[in-house]
Amino acid sequence: MSDLSNLIPILWGGFQTTLAIFGLTLLFSIPLGLIIAVLKMSKYRIVRYPVSFYISVMRGTPLLLQIVAIYFGSYYLNESLGTDIIVDRFPAVIIAFSINYAAYFAEIFRGGIQSIGKGQYEAATMLGLTKTQTFFRIILPQVVKRVVPASANEVITLVKDTSLAQVIAVTELFALAKKQQAVYASIYPLFVAGIFYYVANLVLSCLFSYIERKLDYYK
Amino acid sequence: MSVDKNMVDTNKDSLPILKVSHLKKSFGDNHVLKDISFDLNEGEVLSIIGPSGSGKSTLLRCITQLETLDAGEVNVDGKDLVIPGSDMNGTRPVKYAPAKVLRSIRLSTGLVFQNFNLFPHLTVLQNITLAPVRVLGDSREEARAMGRFLLKRMGLEGKEKAYPCELSGGQQQRVSIARALAMNPRILFFDEPTSALDPELTGEILKVIKDLAADKMTMVIVTHEMAFARDVADKVIFMDKGVIVEQGTPDFVFNQSGNERLSSFLSRFAQH
Repeated sequence: MSDLSNLIPILWGGFQTTLAIFGLTLLFSIPLGLIIAVLKMSKYRIVRYPVSFYISVMRGTPLLLQIVAIYFGSYYLNESLGTDIIVDRFPAVIIAFSINYAAYFAEIFRGGIQSIGKGQYEAATMLGLTKTQTFFRIILPQVVKRVVPASANEVITLVKDTSLAQVIAVTELFALAKKQQAVYASIYPLFVAGIFYYVANLVLSCLFSYIERKLDYYK
Repeated sequence: MSVDKNMVDTNKDSLPILKVSHLKKSFGDNHVLKDISFDLNEGEVLSIIGPSGSGKSTLLRCITQLETLDAGEVNVDGKDLVIPGSDMNGTRPVKYAPAKVLRSIRLSTGLVFQNFNLFPHLTVLQNITLAPVRVLGDSREEARAMGRFLLKRMGLEGKEKAYPCELSGGQQQRVSIARALAMNPRILFFDEPTSALDPELTGEILKVIKDLAADKMTMVIVTHEMAFARDVADKVIFMDKGVIVEQGTPDFVFNQSGNERLSSFLSRFAQH
């Protein structure tokens, strides 16, 4: 039992890596998703088509594969191009997660932006607001409210998806738990890891409910 | 020199504040506006009536730059919306004026929508002050003072902090009129301002518009409220199938014109 008391600090270390993947992914993928959403609605096909292709590849292939491809891809690139680019494990994970989640967020944001009626744009235009003012002061605040529920789903999935980072030997929570499972020959480490994930998502669920309530001041 | 200047000024005063000549607009093969010409003097009220699909709203949207026109000329407060003669008598698409001129025309026109189009995430007062602060560069204090003054005028004192969803349709429409007035437009356009309202709420909007008319606000009103169109207007236009069938004083259009399409339209309304 005294052995097991060491377990929590060990797993806590892994959980910090998990949180880092989670936080950095959100930090990069949300702004990137917004940009991609806007580009996908461009009136120019030359912009729209590549963006659509990007989204369909990101959503149509496993994230696991994307992580592996980005990490090992640099080695193959160096070999064939004679370059010397080295992508470390952790940055590779962050890149893969960010570009993958950006695609999902982009589709959510695009749906949100397109759900705003054209009357809002016309009213803003008639008042002399510029396109930028209209987007940031009129459209975006309303989009935020509409995309919160769908974004909450993605964010909660992301917490669990961080466990995929172990495929290129990033020692996040799940990788450590598996190692401890072997050390202790017990299912208990996995059980504790499960509690970590569950509590994190419980906190996030409460946070999103709170945000939804906060944004409920108008319809 | 001073004599010349006076003459120029006098000429300017006699120019109509809105002049539309031979305006045409199509959506594909659908010729929505065929050859529209009219003008309006400062301080006058124009009512535009006619059956649904006659092109009334499209006409308003062309003048307010929410739609582009195909041919013809529009002059607002002495400024040309399109370069005169650029349509080569309707044989070519019109060329619009430079962006700076278009913007100046935009700021001299206000539009009140059928569906209000208030910004739901902003309070009543924020709806009104947003554009004066962000577009005209007014200080927040100035804009708020103006907003409160306009709300009082609209009979909406104490609603500053309410959100649009907390107001009745009639109150929302009065906020949207205040929002348009806050930009101090030279001409205010109304696109069926009471059509989205319950019948018992239309009266409060019509009263507000009548008050504005009494204050000599130049207005163009597309409406299905016939009695109102007659009472408030200095001038009435009856449109059908994309053309102006009849125009003149309310008395002429409603009582004296013997036009068949007009009388059959008016009699349909009399039955309701």
